[in-house]
Amino acid sequence: MLNRITRRMIVKLGLAAMATTGLGFAAQAADMPKPFDKPGDVKIALVRYLSTGDFFQAYLSGVERQSAALGVDLRIFDSRQDAALQADMVDQAIALGVDGIVVQHGLTEAMSEAVQRAVDAGIKVVAFDVNVGNPAVPQIEQSDQLLAQLALEQAIKDNGESFTAGYVYVAGIAPLDRRDEKWREFKEKYPGINEVAQFGTLDNPIANSVANQASAVLRANPTINVMFAPYDEFAKGVKIAVDEAGLNNDVKIYSADVSSSDIQAMREGDSAWVATAATNPAVVGEVSVRALAMLLAGEDPGHNVIVPPTLITRDMLMELDIENMEQLSAKLPQFAHADVAVADWMPLPSR
Amino acid sequence: MANTAKAQTRFRDLAIRYGFLVLLLVIVIFFTVMEPAFMSLRSMVFIFQSVSITAVLALGVTATLVVDGFDLSIGSVAASSMMAASYAMVVWGLGSVEAVALCLLLGLGVGLFNGLLVVVARVPDLLATLGTMFLLLGLQLIPTAGRSIAKGMMMPDGSTSTGEFDKSFLFLGRHRLWDIVPVSVIIMLVLALVIWFFLEFTRWGRVMYAIGSNELASRLAGAPVSRYKIAAYMISGVSASIGGILLAARVGRGDVSSGNNLLLDAVAAALIGFAVLGVAKPNAFGTLVGALFVGVLLQGLTMMNAPYYAQDFVKGSVLVVALVFTFSLTRAARR
Repeated sequence: MLNRITRRMIVKLGLAAMATTGLGFAAQAADMPKPFDKPGDVKIALVRYLSTGDFFQAYLSGVERQSAALGVDLRIFDSRQDAALQADMVDQAIALGVDGIVVQHGLTEAMSEAVQRAVDAGIKVVAFDVNVGNPAVPQIEQSDQLLAQLALEQAIKDNGESFTAGYVYVAGIAPLDRRDEKWREFKEKYPGINEVAQFGTLDNPIANSVANQASAVLRANPTINVMFAPYDEFAKGVKIAVDEAGLNNDVKIYSADVSSSDIQAMREGDSAWVATAATNPAVVGEVSVRALAMLLAGEDPGHNVIVPPTLITRDMLMELDIENMEQLSAKLPQFAHADVAVADWMPLPSR
Repeated sequence: MANTAKAQTRFRDLAIRYGFLVLLLVIVIFFTVMEPAFMSLRSMVFIFQSVSITAVLALGVTATLVVDGFDLSIGSVAASSMMAASYAMVVWGLGSVEAVALCLLLGLGVGLFNGLLVVVARVPDLLATLGTMFLLLGLQLIPTAGRSIAKGMMMPDGSTSTGEFDKSFLFLGRHRLWDIVPVSVIIMLVLALVIWFFLEFTRWGRVMYAIGSNELASRLAGAPVSRYKIAAYMISGVSASIGGILLAARVGRGDVSSGNNLLLDAVAAALIGFAVLGVAKPNAFGTLVGALFVGVLLQGLTMMNAPYYAQDFVKGSVLVVALVFTFSLTRAARR
């Protein structure tokens, strides 16, 4: 324990020294394996496909926190949903001489080759939520199947094995497709689930567009008592429609993902949004960097690094008096940290 | 012979004048037969509500179309206004009156900026407003470092916000008069009435149409063309900011969004409006009907479980039909 504390202190001192002198080599940490004995010389790049929105902001903050804890030099490349540009950015990172790359989202077709070039150049790569089809590249995943499963198990627990359901889904979006697999599995397992309506759109602002659709659906199918909306923007839209129709006590909404504004919506009086399953995007960011660090130190994080989700119910939020993401992390420890890709020597971000 | 020809022309005139309204009626009947829940008072009111934000934006675009301009920035003005209202209340703890005033000022300011770009800097309208669009897309995210705004949110500096959405502000998006008509629908109807009256019956409105059909002639006739153009962009900006206020009040948080879909839907509504009554020019009544037309289709299709891509396809089809209607039938009739 003492050893650990001193080690962390040394890292912190090193960071402070680095900050004051602006020189990387000051961060000399005794017990860290190569190349982290001189963390300031380790350059890693985050190459992003998606960046706008709360989830991606939180992911980035996790990446930044863990990088700072390690003391490495983080460069951020943001392609803003331009697949070709993202591939070019991997090449830029190679040219920059980085030691490791985190690929965040993207298209398999565009990224596979670029990632292969990086691997050929001796650069360690991990990929989050994009399958680059490369055995040398660990895949970081938030398990969408598990997310959907947690939410649906809660729905069964609350409503029994038969209910009338509305389902919000847009095909062709990888995480939604994976959540959809679970939904179909559940419908087969519980024949009492009667899906009477399926709708969904990604028109911006999503919540508003989905609210318009959900409103029509609720009027066409007044018997719906469960809405499965496995994406928080969908759930928010359905909630608006349920509120407007005054059906707060007749319909329950189950979803996936969470943000501060989602927590507020779930906490509203008589909120129909009763449960959501979520992985903390900041934790996913931290895990991505840790997995990369393990690779750089010559350790093996495994090919599939899965960050487990947490179930969050309205009752929990009320009982523990949780108002935002920070309090959620503070009061639900399983949400604040995932014991995934953690090596003994690795300094973790302070909380 | 002459009689049949005359009858034919008359029929064509009637078809051009009322064709779109008849089509709307046919669609409503079709959906009612397919899905009885479609034809209820609540459903009808709801269609108005679902199009209210689009229609408010579309009315603004109509004003710029009248002076032969175009405003691509309305979607991002609405998105920025939503963020501004949320920021004012959640972060600064302002009340709803101040928040609304701030948004309206923002809309007027952006409109003025667009107008000056077009009139003084002589940047073509599409390019000027495209620039403003990108400017606002970035600007709206700077204060929160890209986060959505909700009660209890974490600020970029690590502190937690203390304010919340004012009850009376949420009233704008959520309250129903007589328990049935949402406030947003009333605002849409009032704005439509004001813009319709302004364009059709006031001297200023007529001058704007004159500028739109022949700018040089209007200038030579002594109309202060520049001022009218700037005014048109300011009307557009303020309408878009009203749309943003309604959006924030309905959703109850400041969502990070580009507003691009709002822009596209609003422009579609205004263009469909050209065809309504066969006038082949931008007009407020047509814009409102155009927005309703799209709303009716989307509502009916959703009730029938049609997937979202079918809806985009239908939206596109309606627009194409309306444009053909405007640019070939009415032109042919005038020949």
